[in-house]
Parts: sequence; structure tokens; C-alpha cells
Amino acid sequence: MLDALRFEWTRLRTLRSTYWMVGSGLVASAAIPLTLGIAAGEEPLNADSVNLGLNGGASFVIPFLAVFMAVIGIFATGHEYRHGTIQPTLTALPQRSRLILAKILTMTALTAAVTLVSIAINATLMLAFWGGAPGLFDDPVRSALLGYVAYNVIYTLVGLGLGLLFRGVPSALVVIFLMPLIIETLFVGLTMVPALDWLAPVVRFLPFTAGSELMLTSAAEFGPAAPDYGFFDRWASGGVFAVFAALIIGVAWTQFNRRDA
Amino acid sequence: MIAVKGLHKHYKKTVAVNDLSFEVRPGVVTGFLGPNGSGKSTTMRLMLGLDHGEGETTFDGERFTDIRRPMNKVGTLLEAKPFHPTRSARNHLKMLAAANGITDARIDEVLETVGLGAVKRKQPKSYSLGMAQRLGLAQALLGDPPVLLLDEPTNGLDPHGIHWMRDLLKKLAAEGRTVFVSSHLLSEMQLMADELVVIGRGQMIFNGDVDDFVREFTQSTVIVRSPAADAFLSALEAEGATVAKGDDGELVVSNMAIGAVGHLAFTEGIELAELSSRSASLEEAFMSATGAAEQFVAREPVLATTTGGAQHA
Repeated sequence: MLDALRFEWTRLRTLRSTYWMVGSGLVASAAIPLTLGIAAGEEPLNADSVNLGLNGGASFVIPFLAVFMAVIGIFATGHEYRHGTIQPTLTALPQRSRLILAKILTMTALTAAVTLVSIAINATLMLAFWGGAPGLFDDPVRSALLGYVAYNVIYTLVGLGLGLLFRGVPSALVVIFLMPLIIETLFVGLTMVPALDWLAPVVRFLPFTAGSELMLTSAAEFGPAAPDYGFFDRWASGGVFAVFAALIIGVAWTQFNRRDA
Repeated sequence: MIAVKGLHKHYKKTVAVNDLSFEVRPGVVTGFLGPNGSGKSTTMRLMLGLDHGEGETTFDGERFTDIRRPMNKVGTLLEAKPFHPTRSARNHLKMLAAANGITDARIDEVLETVGLGAVKRKQPKSYSLGMAQRLGLAQALLGDPPVLLLDEPTNGLDPHGIHWMRDLLKKLAAEGRTVFVSSHLLSEMQLMADELVVIGRGQMIFNGDVDDFVREFTQSTVIVRSPAADAFLSALEAEGATVAKGDDGELVVSNMAIGAVGHLAFTEGIELAELSSRSASLEEAFMSATGAAEQFVAREPVLATTTGGAQHA
């Protein structure tokens, strides 16, 4: 297994795209506390704003870092097929399950590490503008930040699973952007139509929407027309997202073992 | 030693590889021949577990997928340009080496061996097909393996490169390694291979010595030039030989040994200007052996005049 981990780590760090994606994710994430600091540096911080600054807007708008890390996840498997490197890979490391496990472990470790670095960068920026980040080590911010790390890891693994399932990059990219940004948003919007409010209980099972609950310090706002979605608590909602990722990876892994390379 | 037993692979109703069994011995170069679509690449992929099918292949007694650090035991080159376009050649090998406990010094060594030392830090997207093949060979040699499995390694190489590849593979075989190599360049294979595995439509056609293959699938002929060719032709046919006239008036005699032809000329009192034997080439044997197994047969081009196309000229 150590050989497989060495292989995957070398594969990752010898690709220029890894550095571009990580760098872009860190910069995009840091842009939020920077913008907040410039625009509202004089205003007092509460748990929500501290959380928002530290997770780079992930709990409010778009989870920038998660998206960039998910693209690296897609590349981890999709690039193997796009560039035909799956053949030399499997002649260097023919134990397929060991290879996939190494990719999962490496991407998990990288995503967790990059997320912690991002939090540290954002915390430094907040320190510079506000002189501190109150409640950083206390709940609910502490739990929300742990949830943010978990969210990014799961999001990345969904990307890895999609790249493996589709055996390429473009389809996986379409799904990873289309599903949270359009399909789930559209579904939530439909529940606000009175005739379709019976759809509301399903929302807590929408994987990306449920996953967002991991990062919150207060209940999510969907607008005045939104019904009560009855979300599970933070970790159970994260569980919904994790089950979705596990299903994608499970199907992709099984297919990978059965299919010709 | 490579032992292949009962390899079988089908795609829906098409049988790609049909119950192939053969052995590849160490110390010699074994050529793998077959027409386009005959299943050569599929066979190699099945041998390495890249494709799933029936049967088993062992490399010195072990299945490829069971070998820990396989690049140290089996070196492979299957596809042209299976590289990430922006990862340097050295880093490509470094990645594969990481899974097989191979040192950086060995990476530099094989890159020098294949002649890519000067461009090892360049991205493979700038490589020609010949350079990519050299990188593929570097990949195969990385673990200094006792077994080599190479699919069309001479593709894209210039004549110097082909010559170099031939000498290298023969040298590696002479060191006692098992070398199994497919190629479409039959003249090269004739110079390089000691033994052959020939398949057509996924089935075994021949497995054995190159000379035996040529003998089995072609006829040696005797060339005769004589001022009395017509008279000698009758005499030869009377003795049961099959005789054809060549373009320059020479007699091409088959079904009779060169000694018997000479003796007949002597007894008939016929003057000979040339008496020589002509052996068939590997290419002729290949065409003869695989003609019926050719899957993709080109049609004769249709002349423009028959379609009225010439009127537009």
C-alpha cells in the first residue's frame, strides 16, 4: 500500500494543474475575508461572520476551495483515461483496488491539509483587519470549521468518483457543477411553489444541500417563501452527503475492477 | 519464461482472442505477428490483466497482477504516447518508479540509454512519435526486468532508431531475458526474431522457429537461366517439377531440389547460365499464412474513368 501511496503522491505533485488548482482555491477563498475586511472591517464580528470569513464564503455563496479540490479529484481519475496513462499506471501498479484506495487516501489528506492552510490564511487576514477571530476555538465556529473540512473532503471524493465512473474529465465536471448549482437549487426553488410543497421533505436528502449543513453556524436561510425542510443535524446531514459520495465511489470502484482498462 | 494458457476474449458476438496458448522462452527474441485486428494488442493486454477474459498468463510462474513491484520483473510498452502532456519525461518515469522502489539514478540511466537524456525535463507533448516510443521503452526498461513485452516498439522510429532497437532487443535477449515483441515490420522481424507466435482472427496459426515458419508456409524455388530454356522446361515438367517463366526469361522451378535440377541438366546435356535457389522471405510466409485470416481487406481503387470522374478533369 505504501508503494501505491508513493505513486499517487508523486503523480499529484508532478502535475502543474495540482498547483494551479490549489493556488486558485486558496486565493479565491482568501478573497472573501479580504473583501469583507476592506468593506466592513469596522463592524463587529459574530459567529456567522467569523465562520464565513474563515471558510471563504463556502457557507454562504460558492464553496470555492471545495470546487477547486473536486477538480483535482476529477483529474486524479479522469486524467488517467483522458491521456491514456491508465495503461502505464496499471502496469506499474496492477492491483486496482490498492490504486483506488491510494487515490482516495491521498486526495483526502491533500484536501484536508489544503483546507486547514486556507483556514489559517483566512484567519491571518481576519486578524489583520479585526485584530482577532472571536469564538474561533469555541462552538459553533469550531464545529462548523470541522464540518467545512469534512465538506471539502467529501466534495473532492465525489469528484474523484465521478472521474472514475465516467472515465474522463468533461462529463464529471458537468455533473459536479450542474448538480449543486442548478439541479439542487432548482429543486429547492420548486418546493416554494405551493402546489409542489410536498417535495420539501426530500430537500434534506439532496446531497450537496445536506452537505452544506456541515458548515453552518446558524440555520440556513432559503427566503420567506421556503417551507421548513426539517434538516438533520450537522453530522447526520454530512452523513447524507457522505453516503452519496460513497455510492458514487462504490459504483465507480466496482466498475473499475470489472471493466477493461 | 512467459506461459500463456487458454486466453480467450470476446466482445458480444465477436471473438477477439480464441483459446490461445503458447510459451515464450528466455534468451531469444520472440516475435508476435498477425494482421490488423487479429488480436495481438488484446492478447498482450489480457496477458497483463489490463483486459478481462478467460485463461491465465504467468511470468516466471507468477500472474502479473500478483507481482509486487512488477516493473522489476516485467517491462511493458503497449501504446504510443500514454503520457500526461505537461508532465516531463523524467517525472513520468519518477511516478512509475515510485510504485516500484526504483531510484532516481536508474531513471536518469534509462533515459540516457534510450537517447532522451538531453530532453528528459521537456514535456512529452513536444515529442515526436519516435521520441515517445523511446520514452515508452525507457519505461519498460526502468526496473531492469528479466521479461519484456513490447507492442510495436519500432512504430515511428527512423531507420537508425529501428536498427538501434533491433540491436538492443537482441542484446537484451542474449543476456538471458525473455523478449516478446510484436511488429508490422516483417523485414525487421526476420532480422530480429528467433521464434514466432503468429495469430489470425484471434487464433493460433503458428508457434515456433522463424525458419520453420518460412519453410512451412512457403516453397523454396530454384532459378535456372539457360540458352535452351524452352527445351529444359519440357524436361523439368516431364520429371514432375512445376515451372514458371520469370520476367527475364528465367525458369522458376518448384517441387524439385536444386541438386536434382542440376543433375537433370547434366543428363539432358543442357547448358546452364545460372542455377541458384531462392528462399522465401518472412513476409511471403506471413502473407501465405495469414491471407485467409485477414480481417480488414482493402478493395482495389475504382478508376475515375469508370465512374465518369475523368470528365471533370
